[in-house]
Amino acid sequence: MDKKLCVLPCNGIDKSLGVVARTVALKLIELEPEMNLICPVLLNTNDERYETILKESNIVIIDGCMTRCATKLVDERNQKIFKRIFIPAMSKQFKIKPGTNLELNENGQKLAEKISIEIIKELKASEYDEISIEKKLEEFDFYEITVDKYYFQVPKNSYFFNENDCWVKPNGNTALIGISDYLQNRVSDIMFVELPKVGTEIEQFDDVGSFDSVKTVLDLISPCSGRIISVNKDLKEHPEWMNQDPYRKGWFAELELKNFDEDWELLMDGSGYFKYMKETITKEKEEMDFKN
Amino acid sequence: MSESYDPEKETFMGVPRKKIPWWPTIDYVKCNFCMECDKFCPHDVYAHIEGEEKKLIVKNQYNCVVFCRTCAKTCAPDALSFPNKREITKLIKKFRSENK
Repeated sequence: MDKKLCVLPCNGIDKSLGVVARTVALKLIELEPEMNLICPVLLNTNDERYETILKESNIVIIDGCMTRCATKLVDERNQKIFKRIFIPAMSKQFKIKPGTNLELNENGQKLAEKISIEIIKELKASEYDEISIEKKLEEFDFYEITVDKYYFQVPKNSYFFNENDCWVKPNGNTALIGISDYLQNRVSDIMFVELPKVGTEIEQFDDVGSFDSVKTVLDLISPCSGRIISVNKDLKEHPEWMNQDPYRKGWFAELELKNFDEDWELLMDGSGYFKYMKETITKEKEEMDFKN
Repeated sequence: MSESYDPEKETFMGVPRKKIPWWPTIDYVKCNFCMECDKFCPHDVYAHIEGEEKKLIVKNQYNCVVFCRTCAKTCAPDALSFPNKREITKLIKKFRSENK
């Protein structure tokens, strides 16, 4: 890896998972002494202290809960996140529960140890895994609508949608998948993506990775079944492409289709989705007007 | 959710929302009432009831977005579970074929 690494934990000391986040960061420094440790409290009060490190390093952030303090600290400084660790998800992955004590018990220590080893393993693997696959960008016609300050597009042809606002664009026995323009508008600026692993077999409506925005974290719910054959690694460096160009440069993953003839029954074409999206927007607008 | 919201009229993939049993189930043995799920969910599926033994409940089950289970990822004690997606997909297809 050309760039240095730094780690920024949330340091949430009022929850056991926050304490795990802090402990993981300390273990990472032990395992990789060249990695810089960023103190979130000092970062928050003295920007200059870490300015150079943040600019020159790949930033690994560790969040202990959905408040995502570490994510927000990086986002506020317009820096890119290289890797994000969400401790509750890791706790589930390793099936280790640290309990609620703020002083880490044996399980908490074990969890922190396992997570830090896993992070190092993944960081080393990513050194050899930086190939980006360029997809040909096509021009196409859109249905479009403007509501208040928002502008929404839906491609007229070639794309199919589920009611979870995700699309599939089949091409022979493979397909690209991604999120709709409506969904990217709704979640606002996307800051980080968690891509699925190549080779993973998925069923229709399975979760296929996730994405974090300034507002929330969401899973991409696959419109079709198949096997992941590639992912859009460029999104790690440019998650904003999911906002700027959700139907082309913002594609998420590519699948070898398994049963599209059957999956297709539960999907809408561009025209159907545009109608569905307009109804949803109208309902949301009525809700907002009612609240105001 | 405002009073204009009417779950009777809601559909998912052409199926009345009330015919689709998709919402979280809380395991109260595991739940530590941290309320992370409630803080996360933008659809008011959960409610926080202070003073009760079960401080967290599923209040608006039909507000839950079918196939979404992101809230479960916020749950460190793994106290939230959802129905099997295959079974729900089958049920949706069955309803659609019977009501063409």
